[in-house]
Amino acid sequence: MSVLELERVTKLYGDFRAVSDVSFSIPEGSITGFLGPNGAGKTTTLRMILGILKPSEGRIAVFGAPSVLEVRTRVGYLPEEKGLYKKMTCWGIVAYFASLKGLDRKTAKRRAHELLERYGLKDFAEKKTEALSKGMGQKVQVLASIAHDPELVIFDEPFSGLDPVNQQVLEDVLLDLKKKGRTVLFSTHVMQHAERLCERVLVIAKGKKLFDGTVPEALRTIPRKLVIESGDDVAPLARLEGVLELAPVSGAKDGTYALRLRESADPQAILMSCFERGIRLRRFDHSDPTLHEVFVNLVGSEAREASFR
Amino acid sequence: MKYAILVALREFAENAKTKGFWIGILIFPILIYVSTSASTFLEKTKPVRNFVLVDASGELEETVEQALDRLHQRKVMGELASYAKKYARLPEGELEIDFEKMPAIDAKGMAEQWASDNPEILDQFLKAGGLAMALEQLKSALKDDAPAFEEPKRPFRAVELPEGVSSELPPAEMAEALKPWLRGERSIQVEGEPAELFAAVIIPEDILERAVRPGGMPVLPGGEKLGIQYWSSNLADEDLKDEIERSINDEVRRREYEDKGVDPAEVRAVQRTFLPFAALNPKKEAGSEAVSMADQIRQWAPVGFVYLLWIAIFTIAQMLLNNTVEEKSNRIIEVLLSSVTPGELMMGKLMGIAAVGLTMIGSWILFGFGILKWKAGPETKLVNELLGVLQHSGLIWYFLVYFVLGYLFYAGAFLAIGSLCNTLKEAQNMMGPVMLIMMVPLMTMMFIPKDPNGTLATVLSWIPCYTPFIMMNRAAADPPMVERVGTLALLVVSTIGMLWLSGRIFRLGVLRTGQPPKLVELWRWVRAG
Repeated sequence: MSVLELERVTKLYGDFRAVSDVSFSIPEGSITGFLGPNGAGKTTTLRMILGILKPSEGRIAVFGAPSVLEVRTRVGYLPEEKGLYKKMTCWGIVAYFASLKGLDRKTAKRRAHELLERYGLKDFAEKKTEALSKGMGQKVQVLASIAHDPELVIFDEPFSGLDPVNQQVLEDVLLDLKKKGRTVLFSTHVMQHAERLCERVLVIAKGKKLFDGTVPEALRTIPRKLVIESGDDVAPLARLEGVLELAPVSGAKDGTYALRLRESADPQAILMSCFERGIRLRRFDHSDPTLHEVFVNLVGSEAREASFR
Repeated sequence: MKYAILVALREFAENAKTKGFWIGILIFPILIYVSTSASTFLEKTKPVRNFVLVDASGELEETVEQALDRLHQRKVMGELASYAKKYARLPEGELEIDFEKMPAIDAKGMAEQWASDNPEILDQFLKAGGLAMALEQLKSALKDDAPAFEEPKRPFRAVELPEGVSSELPPAEMAEALKPWLRGERSIQVEGEPAELFAAVIIPEDILERAVRPGGMPVLPGGEKLGIQYWSSNLADEDLKDEIERSINDEVRRREYEDKGVDPAEVRAVQRTFLPFAALNPKKEAGSEAVSMADQIRQWAPVGFVYLLWIAIFTIAQMLLNNTVEEKSNRIIEVLLSSVTPGELMMGKLMGIAAVGLTMIGSWILFGFGILKWKAGPETKLVNELLGVLQHSGLIWYFLVYFVLGYLFYAGAFLAIGSLCNTLKEAQNMMGPVMLIMMVPLMTMMFIPKDPNGTLATVLSWIPCYTPFIMMNRAAADPPMVERVGTLALLVVSTIGMLWLSGRIFRLGVLRTGQPPKLVELWRWVRAG
């Protein structure tokens, strides 16, 4: 069952298409990474899902409801730019946002203290938020967005600005949510997070959807790669079955070649044929593609273009 | 609505914690208290003013002494009146007329007499034996626990010339010789203690020949110095100067009458003759047409309310602006908008801040009444009248109605401005023109009671942004019903319009970043909704 569905959603600012004809659906209980270069339209898309912006065209359904307002208590949201009321205490602000999501005041207060304690902020519960560091403030805000135990959690760039230790805490938060069967959609540019946490990824650039599917599916979108280094003639390898292309790696030392392989190709067979042909290898490097490579491959040209716009 | 109330509760709780709120609450009672206490306090703590009087003519010294003594005696009589009123034995509770205990004289009646300004009464008081005699008479009429009467200090004391200054010096040299004392560089000795010389009065020998008469030679510029010289480095406190000038001129005139063969006693009798004169108001019921002090207060009290209204509306509309800008600049707004609609958010903020404002003015009214009640007593006629006016004139209801409407009107404007700005600095820039518009009621505040139903007042009343202030200003003058109802209706309609407009701007403005939009762009928003 899908928790969130977008159908041909478009957002126009004057003539500028911030989001163009995007459709996708998020299944229940999944963690989805929302990837895209700067200015791709991620925040705009998320804001439309949250009902903060109205789409110019298309349809959005959250829990089957046409307007997120009807189900707002079941959704948690962490915006991209983070801020808190400076004069409020940490627990006060978590409880306030929870009560705006329908929790009664007593439960909200209890939940606030529980969460602050669980994620290592117990000593700051009574402190005003202006006394917190930026990263700590961000943690408080993450907790504020999930204090009402939402079924769907939407985080916009949750990792930016956090140190490695706190990034780990945030990963734990996400994994805890997953364990409870909650659905999470978060945007990021850090591929390692997406790779570690997500089952699914959604890639957009310049407002258009480029990819939507599971992580293994995403990895399959680019050919596998083999890097070898040899002083001998390697040209015969190009004729092997499963090898799409053989080219020297520019910038590496002489005799370094990259082979792009078909999905079905077996690197072991290539190693065998090297022995058979007497090609002596100084290096044989076979690794699966990473999400980072997938991302660069998918949006590389778009991202460069976007940065010059 | 539930979410709007949650927002309102937070706004109230957070703003009630701020220093500004508490300063707002406390400043007003402190002001009232200080201003009601200040005059008595100043009077009590005013030092005795020492002055030297050098009368080379020998003609006027006694006159001045007598006049200053009379001034003091009048004060004594006034204080005695308050004293007698305060401590008079109350006749109630004594059903049996006990001739042993019954006061021989009516203390309250005497007090009322003494409280009068009529010089006749002072003459009688002095002739009858002054303070000592009056106290003797009062003794039996006062409560048993009445404290002893404290005679007020004499405000002015004539002292000898400082040592080494000869009384024979001519006026110009005398003034020169006294300057170090008058400037405070040296102190005189009074009863063995060093003291400050407040003033010197130098009367030349030929003063009586210098009297200026109608038809005679006018005083040439600079010629005043040939007359009586009053030297003092404090010319702000004019009591001594006025009293001396008045008494000397009275004396000179008395002598003129004698020279012309007119009996001064008769002149005095003539001068004390007057015709009864009453100022009446035709709008009052028969029997109470007389323009009393209460009427005066009723006419001017609205000015105070206009001022309070202005301060109250601006303090809290400013709060609204500040925290809208805070939410925008911190981007809290985005989280809020994922939980509540812009409409609920705006409504919540309006209600929360309104509650802050009502708490503030509620406390002002309570404190105001409290202090007035506490200060009210037989001797505080003004305070009593003020209290009466506040309780019975309905001004407070006008105030509350105009507060709520005025607040909503300006809150709408400020919310729209707040939603367009990303920083307080931007907001302050946009506030500039609004503040200029806002200053108008403060400037006209003092003129309107003089002509409360005049053209200026009427025209301004029909401009919605001024209606609350101007109509409050005119409240005591019973403006025509048409205007009262008409301007109120217009204000209600424009307040609704303003809130509607700012609702549309708010919805689009709160998520906007970057420069505040141009007016044309704003208009597009309003039309697009």
